[in-house]
Amino acid sequence: MMTGEKLRFDPIGALDERTSAVDAQVLHAWQRHLGLSVPTGAAILAVGGYGRRQLFPYSDIDLLLLFASDKAAAAHKEEISSFLQQLWDAGLRVSQSVRTPAECCELHEGNIELSVSLLDQRYLAGDAAVYGTMLAKLPRFVHGQRDALVRHLSRMTRERHARFNGTFHHLEPNIKEAPGGLRDLQLVSWLAQIAGTTPQAFSGLVHLPELDEARRTLFALRGYLHHQAKRDSNILTFDAQEWIAELMGVEETAIMRGYFRSARAVHRSALGALESEEARASSLFAQFRDRRSRVSNADFTVARERIYLRAPQQLAAEPELALRLLQFVGRHGMRLSLEAEQKMAPQLAAVRQYFAAPRPVWPALLEALSLPHAPLALRVAYETGVLTALFPELERIDCLVIRDFFHRYTVDEHTLVAIQTLVELRGAQAPPASSFAGLISEIEQPSLLVFALLFHDVGKGSPREGHIDASLRLAERAMERIQMPAAERDSVRFLIRHHLDMSVTMNGRDPFDPSTARDFAHAVGTVENLKRLTLVTYADISAVNPAVMTAWRAEQLWQLYLLTYNELTRELETERIEEADSPEQTAFLEGFPKRYLRTHSEADVTRHMQLELEGRPRGVAVALEKSGSIYRLTLVTGDRPFLFATVAGTLSSFGMNILKAEAFANRRGTVLDTFSFADPLRTLELNPTEMDRLKATVERAVLGRADVKQLLRSRPRSTPPSRKARIEPTVHFDDQASQSSTLIQVVAEDRPGLLYDIASTISSRGTSIDVVLIDTEAHKAIDVFYVTAEGRKLTSEKQGELQKALLAVLRG
Amino acid sequence: MKKIEAIIQPFKMEPVKEALKNIGIDGMTITEVRGHGRQKGHKEVYRGQEYNVDLLPKIKVELVVADARLNEILTALTTAARTGKIGDGKVFVYDVAEAIRIRNDDRGEAAL
Repeated sequence: MMTGEKLRFDPIGALDERTSAVDAQVLHAWQRHLGLSVPTGAAILAVGGYGRRQLFPYSDIDLLLLFASDKAAAAHKEEISSFLQQLWDAGLRVSQSVRTPAECCELHEGNIELSVSLLDQRYLAGDAAVYGTMLAKLPRFVHGQRDALVRHLSRMTRERHARFNGTFHHLEPNIKEAPGGLRDLQLVSWLAQIAGTTPQAFSGLVHLPELDEARRTLFALRGYLHHQAKRDSNILTFDAQEWIAELMGVEETAIMRGYFRSARAVHRSALGALESEEARASSLFAQFRDRRSRVSNADFTVARERIYLRAPQQLAAEPELALRLLQFVGRHGMRLSLEAEQKMAPQLAAVRQYFAAPRPVWPALLEALSLPHAPLALRVAYETGVLTALFPELERIDCLVIRDFFHRYTVDEHTLVAIQTLVELRGAQAPPASSFAGLISEIEQPSLLVFALLFHDVGKGSPREGHIDASLRLAERAMERIQMPAAERDSVRFLIRHHLDMSVTMNGRDPFDPSTARDFAHAVGTVENLKRLTLVTYADISAVNPAVMTAWRAEQLWQLYLLTYNELTRELETERIEEADSPEQTAFLEGFPKRYLRTHSEADVTRHMQLELEGRPRGVAVALEKSGSIYRLTLVTGDRPFLFATVAGTLSSFGMNILKAEAFANRRGTVLDTFSFADPLRTLELNPTEMDRLKATVERAVLGRADVKQLLRSRPRSTPPSRKARIEPTVHFDDQASQSSTLIQVVAEDRPGLLYDIASTISSRGTSIDVVLIDTEAHKAIDVFYVTAEGRKLTSEKQGELQKALLAVLRG
Repeated sequence: MKKIEAIIQPFKMEPVKEALKNIGIDGMTITEVRGHGRQKGHKEVYRGQEYNVDLLPKIKVELVVADARLNEILTALTTAARTGKIGDGKVFVYDVAEAIRIRNDDRGEAAL
């Protein structure tokens, strides 16, 4: 229902109008009751919002009656009472205090609120001399009590913020009290006054254009709210959002987007102003010491846990500094100083222009995303506009509201919370998070998940397109620009495309219907994809609101993960490639598990076939490549006993740490083994010639020209961890999982040469290893071998014998 | 008045809500619960270790309805929740002595 009166209502103009109207009423009452009877020694001041001429409809009128002495005040009790009564009768809610100039300028616990309210005082009427006395003392008083006032404001603000969980993300916000509300706006101005400067000059830290805009927005909203409720009501309820939107002729989401933008600007300015004042209160010596903080480098210095740019103008000249900033925050977990933020702001246009052209940004970004404080780095970069300068795609979700019962956050905040959830999962000790935490340590490049999460919902800002399609399109553009390698792009695409699939399956399919796991297994294709998608789903759901990831829901997600994992590993053995695109391909691929095609691209297959061709004359071919911090060794040769153990042992003898390994065999007895490994001592990086020597040694070992035992003997054994941390080895046999092989699962303390010991123990008993899956979880190695003896599953005697032998090797 | 308490499969929550909405029932309380009846949980093997899944995630739907509508609502609910397999869940119906809308003190079926 819209009335003509509402339509004419101008919330900003109304403030001044009401202030003038109330001024007239107060002056009239003053003249009538006090002006004549107390011609000297008394004055009336407006304080608080009224003092600032910001009188919202139906808000209180704060008055200060200033008397030259207590005696004078007591003598005119009657007149004061009639004065106030006239105002009450006129319908004004007056809240008054009676003070002498001396009282105004002394500080104790009980009147600190009064001291703060004096910052907004405005003379209305009465004896100018008594007002003058107070006015003369005020600046010195404020200056003298600066620290006490700051401490008081700081405590009040932090307590108030805590009542709202420290966040401005509320679906029905209190626009006055919540973080980023009008109180915070006021705080900035108070702190500036206490510091004896204007908000503009306030350590040069307040973003004014943003703040002016925010002030207008918040004022308008509060004006509407009071006007509608006909009282001092500051909660922007769903109903209020609806009718304000109608009144202004815009969408409800636009109202909330405007609110969140304002609240964010105000919140940041308030915290910045508060921190800068709190920091000032401490000694100069401390600042000097901090400036020399050890983490400072050529680009950045650190003081009081805040980052400063050594040469702020540098950013425009050298935009790559933005990436180093991401890395610096990601490494040290500190925020930027507001000074740095403000100096960077005018240079962001240059940064944006620079990164609009295709550039090899990915390696530096990958490093930043892999650092322990990557979520903070992204948050800081986002809040300061650096991230949107890098990825303008993200602007579409800036403060974008999802009108939905479950969503607590705007889309940008949801994105940042999801990333934070994912990274914090690493340290999770308690279930249900701990189950998922294990997955993080098992996947390659968890930072790819961070990138995928950053873009998973950007499409929500393009309402005419499906959100997933739009997200994919925008991510594609960004990945192209930063020149992300093809394999990584595939992973990101997969995660964005399927990011809702697990939720949908969980909520819509019967988990115990075998087709559920089978269909889902087909959709994800590989165990690696499944793990990644499970983690992205966990983070995405958790970031909807803080209460949504209940243990119950986590269990449902884990159940789906588990059923699909088992489905994927079971079919490993049974589904074999029968035919490929060309006869040459068929000859090579026939008999490989189907999994091989899902884990390898067309280019990989071509490379592997090429490798096999190269290896024919010598009987073996080895390829070694580096991807990120991981090396991958691919080996093609004819099957022979101890092959897998031999390669594993050779790698260990070079000090390499094997992370993952797979072995495939085709019908013609050609074996393709891949080993992913880390180089913890950086041997290969520091000595490029070692790459060739490693390849040559593997070839010689495979051909039986080098003795692996001999090679391994020269490696020092690492000291085992303390007894408490040791992992009791287990060996588990499973005859059910595969149609033709026995699965052996070995869980043991990881150590150099472990894989060699296990593989050679298995091979030494006439058992052949068909497929191997290796995983390392911190110090724990989890290895699964698909083995057969003379083409069949192992007999129970053989299993018993092998178990004993393996446990003996594992226990050393 | 009757209170209906239904324990159903989580993946049947949306179909049940939809079916009830189609016959004009919007209000209900939904709780995430765990339990098992004859379905008894099951055993999963993950990387060689056995996980006992004793208590399975379930959804509890509660609603209070007018006597006259009970059968119609029960039919809609059970039809939507049924797969025909063990684990579909159970429905319990209780007599309700009184209902009060706190806001305006409406009593009985008027409060539903």
